[in-house]
Amino acid sequence: MLYRNFNFFFLVWVLLTSLTACQEEEYILPEPISQLTNDCLKRTIGPSIASLPIEFAYAMAIPKSQGKLVSAQVEASIPGGTGTYLEHRSYYTNSGGVDIPVTIGSPSTVVDAGKSSKVTFTVDTNAATLRYYYIVPDEAKGQTVSFTFSVNSSDGKTASYKMGPYNISKMSIKKNLTVSNGTNAFISIEDMAIYNATSAAAIPDKVDLVYLYRASPTSFTHGLVSPGADASFLPGVTLPSGLKKSTKLRKVFGLQDRNLANLQFGIYVDDIDLTSVDMTDMPNYAIGLRAEAGVWVETADKKYRAYIYINSVNATGSAVISMLRYTL
Amino acid sequence: MTIYFKIILTVLLLTGSFFSCEKDSFVDEDGLLITFRSECFVSNFELLGADFVTVRAAPAVIDTVAQTIDVSVLFGTDLKNVYPQFTLATDCKLDPKITGKMDLSNLADSKIFTVVSGNRLVRKPYKLIIKYQ
Repeated sequence: MLYRNFNFFFLVWVLLTSLTACQEEEYILPEPISQLTNDCLKRTIGPSIASLPIEFAYAMAIPKSQGKLVSAQVEASIPGGTGTYLEHRSYYTNSGGVDIPVTIGSPSTVVDAGKSSKVTFTVDTNAATLRYYYIVPDEAKGQTVSFTFSVNSSDGKTASYKMGPYNISKMSIKKNLTVSNGTNAFISIEDMAIYNATSAAAIPDKVDLVYLYRASPTSFTHGLVSPGADASFLPGVTLPSGLKKSTKLRKVFGLQDRNLANLQFGIYVDDIDLTSVDMTDMPNYAIGLRAEAGVWVETADKKYRAYIYINSVNATGSAVISMLRYTL
Repeated sequence: MTIYFKIILTVLLLTGSFFSCEKDSFVDEDGLLITFRSECFVSNFELLGADFVTVRAAPAVIDTVAQTIDVSVLFGTDLKNVYPQFTLATDCKLDPKITGKMDLSNLADSKIFTVVSGNRLVRKPYKLIIKYQ
């Protein structure tokens, strides 16, 4: 009897469970946005380096019944460098994947001692996505920067969106420097510049490397050699007086930093790479360099580390190089 | 019949416990499987620079009788920071192990690498002879 009762209750329990399990969950319609709202995303990836832009896309909208957009502004915690601006055009992406601009106001004005950029809408619109380009200033190196995006609407409402804080790299960047065999061949990491023999003679303590090209031996080709290197790596080179620094170099291949390679590839060299690279026992010359190769550099006084990327080489004895420099 | 069954069962249990307690001796001190192979030689050799690009000027010459590896390297190769790579016969291992970059700049004192066979019974020292192109 007990067994039969147990079976019955078990059957009822199973039926009830299956009934509950099959219950359809009712779909709840999402609440439509009924007020001024905004959103933001950072489009730039990789380290934030002084002189380069950080790009944001700031979207804002208000229901048509509530009014229209009046103005949009961005405030950075550190004033942006020259070239910082908030776009006065809203972009949408067409079916071909191309960003199409639609002008919504006059070009942005910079206010609050360079901290803020503001765009006032001149068209009657209730939705827009504006790009913001923040040029990282030199004084922001090693600090963090944050942004407050905000929008005002005709009904007197304001919406805002905070982004950051973002770490700003301690690196400096210099792109597309042309070096040539025998003429503009002297490289200063401190100045991030190329000099000829006459200029180099005036600043011997600043010259860290000499660029040279030798067709023979065949493994030599394009080289970056420190003035203090063995004479066999400086064949036929008469160094200006006073050049004697011994700079450590470490060859790399396949490290095409996106910033140095003019926005090709998807690799980034960051502060941590320059601080952690092992330069112990590295030689003071790097020969056999080719396009898309690079060298880690540590100056003789250990004040700077750098990454020099070879953008292109020319068999007539010249090359285009770019560099990232980190102050230790 | 039952008594025979009990005896067989007891013998099986005893045999099982005997084998289960046997020390596992098929793995060497590096945790690598010791096999029955006695082949012991270097089949290929590569030498990479700090940028992990070859610094060889020509293919390495491996003499498995004289147990030497002759390799000529490119002009300017920094032999203080190189990564040697050995390809060995199946199941062999190398002594000393290569765990990272090596300093092979002392050309007067050729480095010796010993190949140990899969059964760990045969050891063949190879002399690595490097010269500049």
